[in-house]
Amino acid sequence: MLAADPDADLEGALVDWRQFRRRKRVADIHWIDAFYQAYLTGILGLVAVAVASSAVGDDVATASQVREVLADGPAWLGGLAAFALALGLRSGSRGGPLALERAEVRHVLLAPVDRMSALLAPALRQLRFLGFVGLIVGGVAGDLASKRLPGATLAWIATGSLVGITGVGLSVGAALVAGGLRLPRWAGSLVGLLLIAGAVAHGVGLVDVSVTSVFGDLVLWPLRFSLAGLAPVALALVLVVAGLALLGRASLEAAERRSTLVGQLRFAATLQDLRTVIVLRRQLAMELPRIRPWVRLRVRGTGRWPVFVRGLRGLLRWPAARVARLGLLGVVAGVALRGAWTGTTPLVLLAGVAMFIAGLDAVEPLAQEVDHPSRRDASPMPAAAIHLLHLPVGLLTMLLAAGVGGAVAAGPGPGRLPADLAALLVVPLAAGGLGGALVSVLAGPVTMSEGWSLAPPEAQGMRLAVRTAWPPAVAVIGAAPVVMARAAVADGHTALAGAQPLVVGALVLLALISGWVRVRDDIAAWWKAQMALAQPNRDRTNDADV
Amino acid sequence: MPTSEPLLVAHEATKAYADLVALAPLSLTVPTGEMVALVGHNGSGKSTFLRLAAGLLELTDGEITVAGAPAGTSDARAALSFLPYEPVLYDDLSVREHLAYVAALHGVDASGDELDELIARVQLSHRADDLPARFSRGLRQKTSIALALVRPFELLLVDEPFVGLDATGKEALLGILDELHDDGAAIVVATHDPGFVERADRCVALRDGEVVHDGPATTADVLRLVST
Repeated sequence: MLAADPDADLEGALVDWRQFRRRKRVADIHWIDAFYQAYLTGILGLVAVAVASSAVGDDVATASQVREVLADGPAWLGGLAAFALALGLRSGSRGGPLALERAEVRHVLLAPVDRMSALLAPALRQLRFLGFVGLIVGGVAGDLASKRLPGATLAWIATGSLVGITGVGLSVGAALVAGGLRLPRWAGSLVGLLLIAGAVAHGVGLVDVSVTSVFGDLVLWPLRFSLAGLAPVALALVLVVAGLALLGRASLEAAERRSTLVGQLRFAATLQDLRTVIVLRRQLAMELPRIRPWVRLRVRGTGRWPVFVRGLRGLLRWPAARVARLGLLGVVAGVALRGAWTGTTPLVLLAGVAMFIAGLDAVEPLAQEVDHPSRRDASPMPAAAIHLLHLPVGLLTMLLAAGVGGAVAAGPGPGRLPADLAALLVVPLAAGGLGGALVSVLAGPVTMSEGWSLAPPEAQGMRLAVRTAWPPAVAVIGAAPVVMARAAVADGHTALAGAQPLVVGALVLLALISGWVRVRDDIAAWWKAQMALAQPNRDRTNDADV
Repeated sequence: MPTSEPLLVAHEATKAYADLVALAPLSLTVPTGEMVALVGHNGSGKSTFLRLAAGLLELTDGEITVAGAPAGTSDARAALSFLPYEPVLYDDLSVREHLAYVAALHGVDASGDELDELIARVQLSHRADDLPARFSRGLRQKTSIALALVRPFELLLVDEPFVGLDATGKEALLGILDELHDDGAAIVVATHDPGFVERADRCVALRDGEVVHDGPATTADVLRLVST
C-alpha cells in the first residue's frame, strides 16, 4: 500500500492539478471553435440589444410619467430583487449554486483536502462569470433607460451595471448562505415566496412598504439619489462574503445529487427536450411520489377502466410540493386574469403559460407512457388509444387548477371578475393548458426527421419556431376569452356574451388535439410510407415497420 | 487479522428520504483487519450504509465513526477508501493522470514505477495513457479499483465490485482484496455474490434496512437469508 506524506500540501496539489486540467482543456480548443463561439455570442447579444431597444422605444417620458416612475418604481423594481433572492434561496436549499463535476465531488471532496479551499475556486469562478453578465446586462439596460428617462446616459449605464452586479450578488450570495446553513427546501421556497408576495403587495398598493423596495431606490439613482439605495449593495456584499465563509459546510449529498443532474438538465434544455427537463428537475428537487396516497382507492385490481384508474392512482400519490405548485399556478393564472380584465392585455400570456406548466404536471401518467414506450407497446391496445384514455384524469386535474384560478379571479379586491365570467373561464383555461401540454409531451423535442432533412434552413427554422411556440400558444388561447369579455363590456354587451365564442373555440381546439392524439400514429406511418416511396433507391433494410 | 480495536462503528445509523426509510437504525462494529461481506436483496440498504460511512450521504439519525472520527470529516476521509458501484471518472484525464491526481490529493508522492505496478495489477497496462471516458464498463471499473487503491487507507468500502468485470478481472480483484486483508486493512464488501462470504471473516445480512444476520455464514446461508 502506498504511504502518504503527513506534511504534504494537499490544497497546493489541488491547485496545481486544476491548472494542469485547465491548460489541457485550453490546448484542446481549436481557435476556429473559440472564434465561432465568440462570433455567435456577439451576434446574439446584438440581436438581443436591438430587440430590447425597439421594445423600449425612445420617446422621452413626460413629467407625469417620471413622477409615476418615482412613485411606483421602487415597489415594482424591488420585485426584481425579491425574485433574485428567491431564486438564490431556492437554489441554495437544493444544494446550489455550485454544480461541480461528479468526479470532482467523488475524488476531491472525499479526499482529506480542506473543503473550503476546494470549493472556493469554483465559487469565485461562478461569481466572476455571473457578475460579468450582470455588469453587461445592467449597463445595456441602463443605456436603454437613459433614452426615455431624464438623467445623464453615463449615470444610467453606471447605475445599471451596479444594479446588475448587485442582483447577481444577492442571488448567488443568498444561495451560498442557504447552502452553507443547510436551509430546508421548504424554508427556502417559503422565504422566497414571502419576499415576492411582499413586493407584489407593495406594487399593487395592498401595503405601504416592502423590504425589497430599497433595491428600486438603487435602480432609480439617476433620477433621485437616495442613500437607502446603498442597502442592497451592502446586503449583497455581506451575503457573498458570508456565503463564501460557509462554503466548507455545504452538503456533499446535495452536491453529488446536483452534480449528477445539472449536467443532464443543461443538455436536455439545449435540445429543448422539455419532458426530460421536467423529469430531471423533479429529481433535483427530490420530488418523489408519496408512499401512502392521499386517498386510498377502493378499486380491486385494475377495475373496468385500467388506464383511468392508473392515472387516478398516480394523481393520488402526488407529493405535497406538486399539489402546492399546481395551486400556485392557479393563483398566478387568476391574478393574471384580473390584470388582463382591468386592461393589461399581455397578462393573458402569463395566465396561459401558468396553465401550460400546470398541464405538464397534469398529463404525467400519459407522459410516462411516452417515456416507456416498450411497456405501452406490449399492450394489445393501440398506443394512441391508451394515450386518449389518459385524458380524463388530465382534464380533471386541470379543472382543479383552473378552478383555483377562477376563484382567485373572482375573489374580493381590486380588478375582480364577475363570478359568472370567472366560472365560465375555468373551462377554457383547463382545456388550453391540457391541450398545450398534450402537444408538448406527444410531439417531443424537434428532431431532424427524414422528411425535413432536405428542407432549406429557412423552413427548418420556421418549423423549429412553430413547434416551440405552438404548445404554450394553445394554452394562451384558453386564457384569451377574458380579453374578448373585456372588449364586449366596453362595447356595451355582457361579458359572458363576449367570452363565449372563444370559450367554444378553446373547447373545439382541445377536441381537435384529442383527435390528433388518436390518429397521429396513423398519420406518421402514412407519412413515412410516402417518404419511402419518394426515395425508392434508398436502402430500406432497417425499415421493417414500413 | 481482526483485532478488537473498532475502526468502523455505526450506532443506530438511520437514513430516510421523506417517509421512505432506506436504512433502519443499524448498529455495527468492524474492527481493524476484518473482512466483512454485506449481503441483502436489492433495496435492503447495503449501498446506503456504505455511502453513509463514506460521507456521501448524511445521516437522518444516529452516528457513524471511522477511525474514531465522525463519517465525512477530514480524518475519516483520510482513513477510508470507497470503491463505488458505478465508476465516476473525469472525462479529460488518462488512467495514469487519474491515479497521479488522486494520489496527490491524499498526499502520496507516487513514482512512475509505483503507478505502473498498480496499473498492471488491475490489468490496464495497455490502456494506461487512454481516457477511461471511452472505456467499456469493465475497464472503467478496473480504473475505479486502481483509484481506490492508489491512496493509503485503514478501511476499504467496496460496493458491488464484481459487476462488469470479466473472470480474470474478478480473480485479480479477489487476490487484491485478500492481500489487503492480510496486510491488516478492514474491508467491507457489499455484494450479491453469495460465494464471496466464504472468503470473509463475517457476514452481515440486511433486509429492508435491518440486520437479520451478523456472524459467519456459508454460501447456502446467504442464499437462504437473501431469499426469505
